[in-house]
This record gives sequence, structure tokens and C-alpha cells, in this order.
Amino acid sequence: MTANPPATDKTSRRSVLNWLSSVALFGSAVVSVFSNLVFMKPRATYGAPSRFSIGRPEDFPSGTRISLDARRVCIVREGDRLAAISTTCTHLGCIVGVAETGFACPCHGSRFDQDGNVTGGPAPKPLPWYSINLTPNGELTVDTSVEVQQGAYFQV
Amino acid sequence: MRLALAISSFVVLIVHGIVFYNQFFHRWERHQTAYFDQARALSKNEHERAELDARKPRIEQIIVTQFGESRVDRCVTCHIAADDPRFQGHAHPLRTHSYSTALGDAERNGRWERRHKFSDFGCTVCHDGQGRGLDNFYSHGEDHYWPDPLLGYVAQHGWRDDFRPQLLGIEYMEANCAQCHTEENFAGAPQVVRGRRLYFESNCYGCHRIEGLSDGTLGPDLSDVGKKFKLDYLWESIVDPRANSATSFMPKFNLNAADVKALVIFLKSRRGINYTETSLERYRARLGAPREIVETSAAPPVAASNVIERGRQLVRDRYCAACHKLEKDGVVAPDLSFEGLIRDEDWLLEHFLNPRSRMPDSIMPAFRFPRQDFQAMTAYLASLKTPPPAADSAAAYNAFCARCHGERGNGEGPIALYLDPSPRDLTKTAFMNSKTPERLFDSIRNGVPGTSMPGWARVMDDARITELRDYVQATFVKQPRRELTARRLPDANPVAAGAESAARGEAIYLRRCAGCHGRKADGKGPNSLDILPRPRNLRNAEFVNSLSDRRLFDSLLYGVQGTAMPPWIDYGLSTNDVGDLVNYIRSLNPKPDRNLTARR
Repeated sequence: MTANPPATDKTSRRSVLNWLSSVALFGSAVVSVFSNLVFMKPRATYGAPSRFSIGRPEDFPSGTRISLDARRVCIVREGDRLAAISTTCTHLGCIVGVAETGFACPCHGSRFDQDGNVTGGPAPKPLPWYSINLTPNGELTVDTSVEVQQGAYFQV
Repeated sequence: MRLALAISSFVVLIVHGIVFYNQFFHRWERHQTAYFDQARALSKNEHERAELDARKPRIEQIIVTQFGESRVDRCVTCHIAADDPRFQGHAHPLRTHSYSTALGDAERNGRWERRHKFSDFGCTVCHDGQGRGLDNFYSHGEDHYWPDPLLGYVAQHGWRDDFRPQLLGIEYMEANCAQCHTEENFAGAPQVVRGRRLYFESNCYGCHRIEGLSDGTLGPDLSDVGKKFKLDYLWESIVDPRANSATSFMPKFNLNAADVKALVIFLKSRRGINYTETSLERYRARLGAPREIVETSAAPPVAASNVIERGRQLVRDRYCAACHKLEKDGVVAPDLSFEGLIRDEDWLLEHFLNPRSRMPDSIMPAFRFPRQDFQAMTAYLASLKTPPPAADSAAAYNAFCARCHGERGNGEGPIALYLDPSPRDLTKTAFMNSKTPERLFDSIRNGVPGTSMPGWARVMDDARITELRDYVQATFVKQPRRELTARRLPDANPVAAGAESAARGEAIYLRRCAGCHGRKADGKGPNSLDILPRPRNLRNAEFVNSLSDRRLFDSLLYGVQGTAMPPWIDYGLSTNDVGDLVNYIRSLNPKPDRNLTARR
């Protein structure tokens, strides 16, 4: 048997390895915890896409108020100004109808004016407005994930 | 030990790191970032730029509900510039989807408008592929287990190398056009139109069924073959039918590659229910009569002298030899090389028009050719009057009989499997020795009506037939004949025919006979599968009407030796009972009116 190496060396080599292993294991623990946390939020939604095309500006002549029920949005055009107003009632989520004077909810009788402000009924908040953009292919897109200020029209 | 621990912990860390990187840093994010950068450079005003700045990479998807089951197409996650006209000529995936007037896109004021808007149609409706995939390998369907790879763009690994390159090409997508554009001659899908024409011209329809188009029963149903199989399987099944199913008797049609491609595209377009149809319309189409006659390539009326030549050409072009023997041999159906001596013109024409009119269990498809084509083919076949040379009885047996009855006379000739009723096993001593030599002679000379056994009177003279019969008796029947005991049989049915007698006969029939011959008397009773030879189909009018009462009484009362038919006289049936049965069987087989049965 040869002479033992000095005790200090041995412990130092050991502690270095210990230190290295713990760093690596701790690192992978951190990475896995982090990835699990990221997984908590789903990347894909299974509902309808929030950004969708509604057609060309010419499809909406001035004075139009069209409700796209499938998309739950009402397209309003006045002159050169366009707006997309949500048709989901802020009370319990029914689809509000487009009336002459504004919007009316068939479920509990909430009423909104032409800009979506509450004029009656149980609705707590005005109807939100969504952002409209003109894409390079000449079509308008509405993005329901981006709300804009009431009265912020899109200029064609 | 600690060193190993340290190393393995680093390995674990690295693996974790790789997994983490793959899971959270995506190629589509890089594509989208690149798109935003390039689009920002191309944008003309501040508003657009602000909008692009606000966008962050995210999974873009189109949900399509109008075409069959709901689809989620995430293709635009990478192909984010598909609908941005500024990206024409860029590299994939950031490239504008091409505009094409063939697809119905229209250019107005220098701006293209799509006929098939992506927001309505999505991508996979036309392209196939896996809409939910976010990775080339899966979304393009390169994964072997994905049933619909991108049509015309992706050939999966494992597809056969010899025609793999042929399976790529934009024209394959026409198969999906036909999902909505089901018109027969839709100009936008010329390959489908061509494939459909070939389906009829190459006689695929004779054996295969496609709902609303054809109703062949010999081959597999192709109504939803495009949904079930990939391009390579379809191609392989056409050029090499035995590659996947060793027992297939589908002929090799030797079509050129362009024709095979058109057929594959047509078959790929058969996906069962179409997007444009409701199941009610589908049902109505099924009830509707199939097309009567195929539009063949314009056939001018043929001069009488050329009819035979035209018939020869038709017989060759329509691959009769795919089953029959005529120059080539398909080894499925009888020899036609001296058909003129075996069948007459009436028989041939009627057999063409309705193969089951004189042979109720024939598997020959009813082809829908124009009548004049059938007449030409009939004339040609009837003109074939040169039997193969046969010096002695052994040679004659091999030339004429062995194809069905087998070289060893055991009824297992090469085509026996496809004949119904199957050829008689000539080695069955009990059967052969229970029939008089005159009866055997008669069967050879005049044939057995309603079966594939033709009369040989015009091929061989009586002396030769006698010789052949004795040869069969000597070669295949192992035991010598014994004197047949005389049987007491009435010459004519003693029970008068009539509804009452037939009703009594039916009652007896259901108790005594239906087990083997079946409730419908079609020879397919529950016991029939265990019995060889199979029980007779008693609805074979041609056969039953050729039998005398005496012969029926013989079979019923004394049984048929060498088969499962017992002598019913031993089981308590009286002559009157048998008379009722005979009346019942006869009532199932009215004398056919030839004019009525000429067409189905």
C-alpha cells in the first residue's frame, strides 16, 4: 500500500466534486421547476382565434352597423371611421342585439347606447371596443385581445 | 464514486437544458420575430409599425368548422406571411401563398383577392397535413403514422423508392378540390376527371364499388379509399396488386405512369362523404340508378366485315384476359380460346349483358359497355373455333378439363376457386359410380346448364367423348363400377303442381332442407360451410329447369352419393312429400322470359 495522499488534498477534491454535483443537480432542479411553471400557462387556446379578418373596408359602407354573431363583435362605420364593439353583454355574457338606438340584451334587459355605454338594466360596464387594423392584403382585422378606448375609431 | 456522481449530475443538467431549450425556444417564434422585423421595414406608416411592435410571437390558428369535423390549423404560426402580399418571392416559410386565377383568385386594382380565404378554409382542407402541428416533421405529416401528409409535397419515409418521386407534384392536391367540387367534369381538377374516366375505361368499376358510381362486388369497396390509404399504397395497389395481398387476383393493367397518377388522384379524392353533401343526398345518390353505359372513346359504327376485328380489339383493350385465357391467361375464369365451339352467340351476348342470367352464381362483373361493343365482342368470341390439338384422351383431358377439374381430377383446377358451383371432384368414387355411364356421357356432351360446365359436342364427336369418359373413369375413379340397383322412381311428378302443394312443400323444405340449402334456397344454409361439395343453389333456374322430375325424385329420395345429400326415403319422406318439395322448388324457378332477363 502506498502512502496516503495528504488529508487536506483528499477533502478538497471531495468537496469540489460535492460542490460540482450539487450545483448541477440544483441547476436541473431549477430548470425543471421553471419549466413546470411555464407549462402552467397554456400556449394555445382552443377557442376561436382572437385576431380575425372581417373583410375589406368597402364591404362596410358608411352608416353600417353589422353584428357578426359568430365573432361576437359589431362593426360600425361612420364616414371614414370604423369601430369594432363587442356584442357580449358585460352582465352575464349573452349576445346583445343591435337596435336602432344602440344595443339591447335579450336576457336581462340591459341596454346600451350606440357607443356601448350602459343606459339601463343590470350591466355593470360599457361594451368594450376592440382594435382594428388594416393588413397589407387590404383586409381589416379585429383583435379582440386588444381593447381600445371608447371613441378611438380606426381611420380608413 | 463522487466523480461519477458529479459527471452524471452534469449529464442530467445538460439533458434538462436541452429539453428546456426545445420546449421553450421554438422555430416558429424565430420565424415570427423575423416576420415582424421584415414587415416593420416594409411598413409605410407609423400606425402599422406601432401595431407590429405590439405583437409578440404566439401560436396563430384558424378554426375551420364548415368542412367536416372541426379543424384547428396552426400552419399560419410559421407561414405567418401567407396572406401578406409583400412577401412574394421570399423564402419559405415567410412567403406569400401564391395567387392563381385557376384557384379563382381575382386581381382588382392591382390587388389580389382570394377566392378561398384562409380565414374560412384554413389550410389542411386543401393541403392535408397535421393542422395542429407546430414542427415541420409533424405538421407536414412526415411522421409515418400520420395518415394525411401534405398532398404532393411530402413523401413519407418508407414509401417505396421505385415510385416515390412520382408521388410528389402539385396536381395531387386536386384530390382535395374534388371534396367540394364534385361535379363530374370540374375543369379545375383535370386529373380527377381523367382518373374518373380511366376508372370506367379500364373497367375498374366492374369489380369495385364506389358509392354512387359503380357497384362491383369482386374487389374491395373504394368509396372511402382516399381516407383510408396514402398515395403510395394506392399507387402500389394499382401497379402491383399482389404486393400487399398475396391472394389478390386483380390483374396488372400495365397503365403508363400518367394514367396511374390520374387514377391515384381520383382514388385519393374518394373519401366517403363529401363536404358538399348531406347524408340525405348521399342516400339519394345511392338509390339512384348507376350510369347505364360508359362513354367510350367515340366509336363509329363498324362495317359488318370489321366487326370481328373490332371485337378482337375490344376484348384485348378491355383486359378480358386479365381473368380469362385468351392469348394471355389470367387464371381466374374459363378458357375463351375456342369459345365459338362451346357457346353460341345468343348465350355469349346474354352473358355479357347480364352474366348471372344463365349462370346465377357467376362472379363475372356486369360491364356497362354499349350494346354494339358487346355485339362485336360476341362476334369475335363466336368466331374462335380452333380447339387446341388433343391427340388422345389424356391430352384432351389436360386441354379441356384440367383447367377446372384439376390435373388429378380432384376438382381443384387452377380456376376452381372462382367457380360456383365448383367443378365436380372426379375422384369421388361414390358419386361417379352411382351415376350411369350414359348420364356422365350426357353431362360431357351437353354440359350442365347454369354452371360453368359447357357442352363439348362441337369440340369432340361422340366417340371421343365416350373415350374421354372412360379415360376419366379409369384414371380417377379407383374402384370398379358395380351393377346399379334399379330404383323405383316416377317418370313425372305424381302430385299436381299448385299453390297448395308448393305451400306444403315449403313447410317440409324449411324443416328438412333449409339447414343446408338455406332459407332462401340459395344453397347458403348454416351448415353449407362445412359441406363439400357445397349444397346446390336451388334458385339456379337454368339448372333446375334442365332437370327432369325423375332426376329430382332420384336425388331427393335416394340422395346423392359422394355428397352430403342423404336419401330422404330413409328419413320418412313419402313420394307425395317429395312431390310437394319438387313443386315448391319448381315454383322458385319460373321459366325465364328471355326478353325480360336480358337486362338486369
